[in-house]
Amino acid sequence: MKSIFLNYLNSMSSFFWITAIIMIITISIVVFSEAYGLNFVSTSFVKILGKTLCLCIVALAMDLVWGYCGILSLGHFAFFGLGGYMIGMWLMFERTKSIVIESTQNNILPLTHNEINEAIGTQIFGVVGGAEIPMIWIFADTLSIHLLLVLFVPGILAFIFGWLAFRSRVNGVYLSILTQAMTLGLSLYLFQNDSGLRGNNGLSGLQNIPNFDNITQAELSIWFLIASSLTLVVTYFICNLVVKSKLGNVIKGIRDNETRIRFLGYKVESYKLFVFVITAIISGIAGALYYPQAGIINPAELAPIASIYLAVWVAIGGRGSLYGAVIGAAFVSLSSSYFTGGQIPNIDFGIFTLKWVDWWVVILGLSFVITTLYAPKGIGGLVEIMFRKKQL
Amino acid sequence: MSVLLEVNGINVTFDGFKAINNLSLSISNNELRAIIGPNGAGKTTFMDIVTGKTKPDSGTILWGQKNSSLLRMNEAQIVELGISRKFQKPTLIETQTVFENLLLSLKKSRNPIATLFYKMSPDDEKEITNIAVEVNLIENIGSLAGQLSHGQKQWLEIGMLLAQKPNLLLIDEPAAGMTSPERKKTVKLLKKLSKNQSIVVVEHDMEFVKSLECRVTVLHEGTVIAEGSLDHVSQNEKVIDVYLGR
Repeated sequence: MKSIFLNYLNSMSSFFWITAIIMIITISIVVFSEAYGLNFVSTSFVKILGKTLCLCIVALAMDLVWGYCGILSLGHFAFFGLGGYMIGMWLMFERTKSIVIESTQNNILPLTHNEINEAIGTQIFGVVGGAEIPMIWIFADTLSIHLLLVLFVPGILAFIFGWLAFRSRVNGVYLSILTQAMTLGLSLYLFQNDSGLRGNNGLSGLQNIPNFDNITQAELSIWFLIASSLTLVVTYFICNLVVKSKLGNVIKGIRDNETRIRFLGYKVESYKLFVFVITAIISGIAGALYYPQAGIINPAELAPIASIYLAVWVAIGGRGSLYGAVIGAAFVSLSSSYFTGGQIPNIDFGIFTLKWVDWWVVILGLSFVITTLYAPKGIGGLVEIMFRKKQL
Repeated sequence: MSVLLEVNGINVTFDGFKAINNLSLSISNNELRAIIGPNGAGKTTFMDIVTGKTKPDSGTILWGQKNSSLLRMNEAQIVELGISRKFQKPTLIETQTVFENLLLSLKKSRNPIATLFYKMSPDDEKEITNIAVEVNLIENIGSLAGQLSHGQKQWLEIGMLLAQKPNLLLIDEPAAGMTSPERKKTVKLLKKLSKNQSIVVVEHDMEFVKSLECRVTVLHEGTVIAEGSLDHVSQNEKVIDVYLGR
């Protein structure tokens, strides 16, 4: 029983480590930031870091659903995108509204409610050839409702999808294909102009927070960085509690021997659904934090490839260990923006030029194959080996 | 003795092959029953039907005093009624410890929210320890189930059945992979358990069945061909023909 207690301490220690590292990074960025500190770190870099933390959050969700429960969902970026769309609607609507009101401030007669709405409609939906505000924007002027929608829209979609799929006992690769179909379908739907979400234009200008006009992007980027790191820490804590609870034993059991768990009397479908919905909600929250930092969301973000990348991050980082997922998402997405951001010069071999933008995908693919073959537990597994050696 | 489980006129067909053919049999309260028969006689399929893994084409399965039908229930509901099963091949959570396997089996709420907030009480811990002692695994309580020997795995699975406190235990080939002292211990344990619950054992090993000293049902081609004491059925012509050999 002593060993169980020690295991518990060990498990918590990963939480303390991750928290400490994230806090140190966040605080040092604030100290060196343009807005509040020594002006060493550019705003765009702060935004990249903030976005990376959001990707770490969605990687935690992916690890919980795939690494722990064994459901290889290749559609969790759909929930991430939906979270972004839900907060984006409010941001864009309120921002446009304040612009409309501001531009007509000098008018003798103030605009009526209908006139304001018409002006907003033309502003937002002009690009898709409309002026009407679609029905789904009915609550777009209320932040509290849209914050709830960030949770409920991904949650309900995951519930309906999961309920249908798990009840029919769809498993393994068939389930993965279904999740791909889900995210593809959603993305194709959003591409349509009459989806009510501006078709392929998506929602833009999300980096401007309504009613915070006098606050600079440099300051906002720091706020979002802090919010993202706090959310990551809280999510890590919750995920850690889940995997160390008896429910964690049940879902790991489902991953390793579904039949046994079923014949112990556990309703496997309910557990899968529970994990699927919880992780969809976590993904939605991550998306709602990510897109205000990215500034724009469009249906291409929900393309099937995004969710596949998510699986690659978790595989490289190490599925089945929470810190592995965080490390994987941070490492791979930061390297990705490094290699594709034009920061390193292309290498000219005379007859052939090595362009990193193209070759990065090859490197990523190779490292995926190498981790799968030689380090199935990913970077997280290597960390584990290092620590174990120290203990001996 | 009152009847606990009554199986009546069950038929199962797999792709045109009749696996179970008009099978009827009943198990009383606190009865120990052995089911024998050649390969493909339908022994495991019988367990699949009772536990809800396979749905029969026709027939009835009634349970307990209230005569509730098992046919419309799912696996989890059937376990909740008190029917637990040990598989032919040891089926454990190999990546978790003996302790965790037993913890998962304890008779507690199976609801996801309840398991999320479950806190182990000293009583639960004691119960798990007691079961581990009973199935001889107290030394291995912290080791992964996958690292146990075949016999130990069988024992752990029996321990997991005990932890569920079922009314009916369905045990598929418990003696496979066990040494002779281990078998003797299994027989002793099963006999002891049958004082408080009903047990159905499927077994090939005639020595083992003999030592259980219980009523025996012989299955052949999905139907019961003889029932009674082992001595009685081994004199049955048909049983000798299809199973024991001359």
